Amino acid sequence: MSILAPEDDGPLLRVAGLSAYYGELRALTNIGFEIERGEILSIIGANGAGKTTLLKSLVGLMNRGRMARIEGRIEFEGRAIENLATEDIVNAGIALVPEGRRLFSRLSVQENLMAGAYLPRCRSTLKERLDEIYALFPVLAERRRQIVSQMSGGEQQMVAIGRALMSSPTLILFDELSLGLAPFVVDDIYRKVSQIHELGVTAIVIEQDMKRALHVASHVFVMLEGHVVLEGKPENVTEEQVSAAYFGTGIEGLG
Amino acid sequence: MSEDLYWTLIDIANGLLSGAMLGGYYAIISLGLALVFGVMRLVNLAHGDWLIVAAYIAAVVVQFLGFPPFVSLIVVVPAMFVIGYALQRYLLNRVSVQAMEEKGMSSNFGLMSPILVTFGMSIVIAHALLGIFASDATGIKNALSYSAIRLTQDLSISTLRLIFFGIAGAILVSVHLFLHRSHAGRAIRAASDDPEVASLMGMRTERIYALASAISLAVAGVAGVAVGMSRTFQPFDGPQFLLIAFGVVIVGGLGSIAGSLVGGVLLGITQVLAGTYFGPSAQLVAGYMLILFVLAVRPQGLFSR
Ligand SMILES: Nc1ncnc2c1ncn2[C@@H]1O[C@H](COP(=O)(O)OP(=O)(O)OP(=O)(O)O)[C@@H](O)[C@H]1O
Ligand SMILES: [Mg+2]
Repeated sequence: MSILAPEDDGPLLRVAGLSAYYGELRALTNIGFEIERGEILSIIGANGAGKTTLLKSLVGLMNRGRMARIEGRIEFEGRAIENLATEDIVNAGIALVPEGRRLFSRLSVQENLMAGAYLPRCRSTLKERLDEIYALFPVLAERRRQIVSQMSGGEQQMVAIGRALMSSPTLILFDELSLGLAPFVVDDIYRKVSQIHELGVTAIVIEQDMKRALHVASHVFVMLEGHVVLEGKPENVTEEQVSAAYFGTGIEGLG
Repeated sequence: MSEDLYWTLIDIANGLLSGAMLGGYYAIISLGLALVFGVMRLVNLAHGDWLIVAAYIAAVVVQFLGFPPFVSLIVVVPAMFVIGYALQRYLLNRVSVQAMEEKGMSSNFGLMSPILVTFGMSIVIAHALLGIFASDATGIKNALSYSAIRLTQDLSISTLRLIFFGIAGAILVSVHLFLHRSHAGRAIRAASDDPEVASLMGMRTERIYALASAISLAVAGVAGVAVGMSRTFQPFDGPQFLLIAFGVVIVGGLGSIAGSLVGGVLLGITQVLAGTYFGPSAQLVAGYMLILFVLAVRPQGLFSR
């Protein structure tokens, strides 16, 4: 779905001068980038580099009072969203698959998915949307009544992705999709991500596995201590450059 | 069958019956408290006082509008719903764990402050009622309050208690269906699980909390009318209902609607049987002994999830 506005020619997402703070601690420093429609941006970075904080900033989870706050500008489809509440940002078309999945543990698979379609604009098409998700993840269809806390990590990740897709997002943010999952499960999950991308959804993917991150992406970032230290297209950056940037041993920017 | 055995059995049967009926009404007293705790981790120490407020609203409606006591529900329940919504939205949400964390205070402070606020509210409500209505015992009894349905020659059941048992059952079933079948109910359950992720689903948690609190007090409103119709009440009676609610929640287990009913019925039967055999003063003691017993053998309650 797309809302055709005059700004539609510009990038889907534009971030400028973004800094984020937890109390006194600065977790992001002056981040700026743009994403065009249809891109997949991979973000690589060591633990504590600020990847999760960046995604939280995009969905309004960092402007929650004195403890977590941001400075700078975030534009989505040409509209400033940095001061919007999370609920309004989600309504505008950004969805987050959070780190650690964070399903509603006492709800069934289907109830988790339906919770994803809570927004009024999603309710009339809820049934069709559910069918689409079950077509994408047939395993979930068989287990729709199961309580999610009794499922395997991979299945839970599918529920988390399905739940985010239920709101028909234009931009979907995946935080550490492969965390704690067996390699063959991760392969499966990334096939689904490609399928979702082919449906026209733009994505930001946070991934610790460098090869996988470079493989899936049309654009790559490496983050270190709250800065973007390397940026480029996967075909233009080498694994050596990425790992040097990852560990902060040689910093060089590429176009 | 000997005469003695017959009367023993009749006493027990009467105790079980009226205890069970009492339990239905205990269940709706505790439902609101459990709901608000389950969803927001908020212990509303003024829950009993709001119940008494509802009873007074009913008394005013009966006296000045001339409604029959039962019909006062159509005023009391919406009024309590609105009070519950506003209370949460404009007062309690500001002192919640999340609100405190956003202000940079420790979450311990966030757990403590609603307790202090509702404790203060309890005192304010009781004194406000005293100021308005004086300390005379009030009641909204009518003929129904004294009528009974005779099951056998020696076995009978209070009509009012039976009606309120039916209402309690209907409320428990509807709240369960609401929480499981509606968008708003699912949102309440989702927000109680993880409020941050709930907001990622577009759920406005501050409104969802307000709705949970509104339902809590609306149900307390029904309990208030039940209290008013079955006994007299005074401004400072609130805390005894809070204690009943705590007892039911401990026995039945938090967060389970079936638990409220079973907890209420067990507590009711224990109290009535103790009253029958050891006199009225044994009622409270027996209730507390049941609570202690459950705490000792199954601290999470009989029906906890
Ligand atoms: N809730 C919080 N309160 C205080 N500091 C935080 C909080 N969350 C993260 N931080 C700090 O902010 C910095 C960035 O953390 P962030 O979670 O964004 O990193 P990350 O790149 O996602 O790491 P990981 O790979 O471990 O998920 C870290 O120094 C971290 O300690
Ligand atoms: Mg992270």
